[in-house]
Amino acid sequence: MKMKKILALVLAAVMALALVACGGSGNNSGNSGSSGGDAQNSQNDQSGAGSQDPDTSGGAAGETISLTLWGAEEDQALLVDLVEKFKAAYSDQTFDIKIGVESESTAKDTILTDIEAAADVFAFANDQIDDLIAAGALLPISGDMDAVLQNYAGKSLEDIKSANSAATVALATRNDTLYAFPMGGGNNYFLYYDSTRVTDEQAQTWDGLLEAANAAGSKMGMTLNSGWYNASFFLGAGFTTALNADGSTVVDWNGTSSKGITGVQVVQGMQAIAANPGFLPIADGDISNQINAGNVCAVISGTWDAEAAQKAFGDGYAAAKLPTFTCAGQQVQMGCFSGGKLIGVNAYAKNSGWAVLLAEFLTNEESQVARFNARQQAPSNINAAADPAVEANVAIAASAAQDAYGVVQSVGGKYWDPAKSFGEQIAQGTIASDDASIQAALDSLVEGITAPVG
Amino acid sequence: MEDHLSEKSGISGFFSNFGTAVAKGDWAVKLTLLWWGAGYARRKQFVKALIMTALEAGVIAFTFLFAMQYVPKFGTLGTVQAEQVFNMATMKSEWNDYDNSFLILLFSLFSFVVWAAAIVVWMRNVVNVYRLQLQAEAGRHVNSFPEDLRTYLDEKFHVTLLSLPVLGVVVFTIIPILLLILVAFTNYDQQHMPPTNLFSWVGLNNFISLFGGGVTANFGYAFARVLGWTLVWALFSTLTTYIGGIFMSLLLNSKMVKWPKLWRTLFMVTIAVPQFVSLLLMRNFFSNGGIMNTICADIGLTGFLRDIGLISTSYIPFLSANGWAHVMIILINIWIGVPYQMLIATGVLMNLPGDQLESARIDGANPYQTFRHITMPYMLFVTGPALVTDFVKNINNFNVIYLLTQDVFTTTNQAMANAQAREVDLLTTWLFTLTQDYYNYKMASVIGIMIFVICAVFTLIAFNFMIRGDKEEGYQ
Repeated sequence: MKMKKILALVLAAVMALALVACGGSGNNSGNSGSSGGDAQNSQNDQSGAGSQDPDTSGGAAGETISLTLWGAEEDQALLVDLVEKFKAAYSDQTFDIKIGVESESTAKDTILTDIEAAADVFAFANDQIDDLIAAGALLPISGDMDAVLQNYAGKSLEDIKSANSAATVALATRNDTLYAFPMGGGNNYFLYYDSTRVTDEQAQTWDGLLEAANAAGSKMGMTLNSGWYNASFFLGAGFTTALNADGSTVVDWNGTSSKGITGVQVVQGMQAIAANPGFLPIADGDISNQINAGNVCAVISGTWDAEAAQKAFGDGYAAAKLPTFTCAGQQVQMGCFSGGKLIGVNAYAKNSGWAVLLAEFLTNEESQVARFNARQQAPSNINAAADPAVEANVAIAASAAQDAYGVVQSVGGKYWDPAKSFGEQIAQGTIASDDASIQAALDSLVEGITAPVG
Repeated sequence: MEDHLSEKSGISGFFSNFGTAVAKGDWAVKLTLLWWGAGYARRKQFVKALIMTALEAGVIAFTFLFAMQYVPKFGTLGTVQAEQVFNMATMKSEWNDYDNSFLILLFSLFSFVVWAAAIVVWMRNVVNVYRLQLQAEAGRHVNSFPEDLRTYLDEKFHVTLLSLPVLGVVVFTIIPILLLILVAFTNYDQQHMPPTNLFSWVGLNNFISLFGGGVTANFGYAFARVLGWTLVWALFSTLTTYIGGIFMSLLLNSKMVKWPKLWRTLFMVTIAVPQFVSLLLMRNFFSNGGIMNTICADIGLTGFLRDIGLISTSYIPFLSANGWAHVMIILINIWIGVPYQMLIATGVLMNLPGDQLESARIDGANPYQTFRHITMPYMLFVTGPALVTDFVKNINNFNVIYLLTQDVFTTTNQAMANAQAREVDLLTTWLFTLTQDYYNYKMASVIGIMIFVICAVFTLIAFNFMIRGDKEEGYQ
C-alpha cells in the first residue's frame, strides 16, 4: 500500500514538473516584456550617470554594447564576417552582437508577435514595411539618427540616400522619412525563358511566348492567384493602388486607367492568356517546383529562382523584362511592384544609436559588394551595382530592366486575399467573358480591397 | 445557527460554515479575519501560524507591488502611448512609462484569479481555525504540524495528488481561456497592437460583426458558410471512417479472407507513417501540377473532363476548386481515418457476445440480419461515446484541412475572400489565418468562443441522447 502511494506521489510530481516545464517557456515569453521594462529602467539610470560625464562618448567607457541581429539563413556566414568588420571599424567600443536566423520574407510575423523581444536590427523584404511602420516596430532614420551617422559613420542621411538607387530608397521611405536602410534591389519578378525553345523576339510578348510554348509542347507559367503577381497586368495598364493612413487600401481597377484602358479590358486580356492551352497557372509558392520538374519553357519569377532556372534551361538559360500582353487591341507592357531587401532598426532597441550604425554598416557599399559575391544578390548601392560582375548577371540585369516599369507597393492588409481570389477565378475561368460579368467581378474585388480595416 | 460545522459539501455549505465560524468563534478566530495566523498561534500551532502569516504578507505584497500597477487601468486598458527620446551621449533610446494594453489585460486577470484564490483561502482558514477551537474545547487532540503534514499522505492524500495538476490547469488553461474571452470584447487587431498602440473595450461589437452587422458585413456571410462546411465535414468524416472501419474489420474477420493478419498489418502502415507526412504527400500528389494530374493528362482523362464541361482548366483542380476539394478532403480523410476505426472495431467485434451470435445462427438468421440486429447495435452501444468525441474532434480537425489545402486552395468567392475565409476552412483554420496572417485577435477570439459553444452544446445533447440510463436494457 505504502509503495503504491509513494509511486503515485512520484508520478504526480513528474506530471506537475512536466506542466511547469511546459509552461516555463510560455511564462518566459510572457515575462520578457516586463523584464525588458526593468532592463530599460536600469539602462535609463546608467544613461543618467553617463550624461553627467561629458567625456564619455557613446555610453559609459568599457561598457559592453549588446545588440541582436536577425538575417536570412543563407546570409549567416556572410553576416558573421560583416559583424567582425563592423567591430573592427569601431574598435574603441566593446560589442556583444548576437546573430539569429529569421527569413527576410517572414520577419514581420516574428517581430509583430512581440516587438519588445525582437532583434535590434533585422533584414526584411520591402513588402512588410507598411505593417511594420503601422505597428511602430521601425525606428525612423531621421533627426538624431542623422546626427549619429554624421558623428560616427562620417556620412549624412543624404549621403546614404544618394548612394542607393532612387527606386530602392523609395521602397524604404514613407512620408519623406527613411524607415530602413536599402540592402538590395531586384526583389521583383521578370521572365525566365529557355532560348532554345523560345526566341528572344517571342519572349517580348505573351502571344509569342504562348505560341512558342504550344509549339514546344511545353508551358508558359505564371502565378495568377497572388495579388503580388497578378497586379502586374493592372499596373502595366496604368492602374494604381494607394494606402490610407488607417491601413485601408484604395484601388481604381474597376474604372478606367490613366492610359484610357478599362479594368474590363485588362481582365479580358488576362482571360485570353488563362484560356490558352500553352499557359500554366502556378500556385503561389510552387514556381520553383515547376521549374525543377521541367514543366515550363518560360516562367515569371524572381532572382531567387535564378539557380533553378539555370539548371532547368541549361545553355538556353535567358532572362528578360516582363512581356507585353494584348489588351484593348494594343500591346501593353506589364508592370510590377518593385521590390528590395531592407535592414531596419527596432524602434524598441535599447542601444538604438549603435543599432543604426550596425544597420548602416551592413548596407554600405563594401557590404553590398560582399553580399553580391557571396549570394549573387542585386545591390541597391549605385556604385556596387555598376560593378561589371553585377552587370553581367543575367537575372539581375532582367530584374533591373523590369524595375523601370515598377511602382512602389502601397497596399494594406485587406488587399491580398481578395486579389488572390480574383487571380484564382481567372485561372479557373469562373468569370464569364462578357463585359457585365467582368465588371461585376471587378466591383466585388474593389469592394473587398477597399473595405475598412477592423 | 449551530455550534458545530455542517458536513454539507458544496458552495452553500462552505458559506454557512464560514458564517458559523465568524459568529461563534472566539476572539482568536475573529482576529484571524485580519491576521491569518492568529487562530493557529492561539492553539500553539506556531509553524502553521508562520506559514499563514507569510502567505498573507505575500498576498498583500502581490497586491501593492504588482497588481496595483495594472488593475487600476483595467477599465481603460491604458491611456499612455509609448514615446521615446534619443540620448546622444549614451547612444540609447529612453522611454516614458508607457502602458501596454495586453499586459494590463493579462496581469489584471492574473491578479483577479490570485485574489479569488486568496479569498477562498481566507474563508477556509477561518473555518479551519474555528474547527481547531471546537476540538480544543471538546478536549480532543489538536494535531501538531508534523501530524498535519502526515495527513496529506494518508486521509488527505487526494489533495496532495491533485493540487499541482489543478494549479497547472488554472495557470495554463483557465487563465488563457478567460483571456481569450476578454479579448473578444476589445478591439485588439492589427491597428491596435501593443506596445506602440493601445486597445480598448468595445462591448459586443465583434459579436455583432460576426452575425452580419457592423462595418464588415462579409464576416456574417463567411461565418455561416464556414460553419456549414464545418458541420458537414464533421458529420461526413466521422460517419465515413466509422462505417468504413466497421466494414473493413468485418471483412478481415470473415473466414473467406486469407492471411487476415497480413492485410491488417498493411492497413496499419498508414498509422505508422506520421499523419502530417501522408497529408503533405497527398497534397503534392493532387496539386494542380502534381503527379495525379500528369497521369490524368497522359491517359486523356483531363481532356475528357474538359470536353464534357466538368472542368474549364488545363488540369483537374483536385484540391484547388470548390466542390472538388470538399470531396477530395473527405476521401483522403477516409484513407487516413479508417485504419484507426478498424482497430477499434476489431477490438469491439472480438468481444461480441458469442452466445447471441450462436443462437442467431441456430435460429437461421442470415449474415445481414445478424449484422443488423446484433453486431451493429452492440457496436453503437459500445462505441457511441467515442463517436460523439470523434465528431467534436472533427469539428476541430485542423491538421487534415490545413495541411491539404494550405497554399493550394484559393477561394473564387469574393465575399469569402473579403473576410479572409475560404470555402474549405473549418472554424479553427479560419481562426488560425485571422491570427497568424492578419493579427485579427478580436475576431479570432469571438470565433474561438463560438467553437467552444458549438462543441459544448453538441456534446451535451449527444451524450444525453446516446447514453441515457435505459440504453443498456434496450440493447439487452
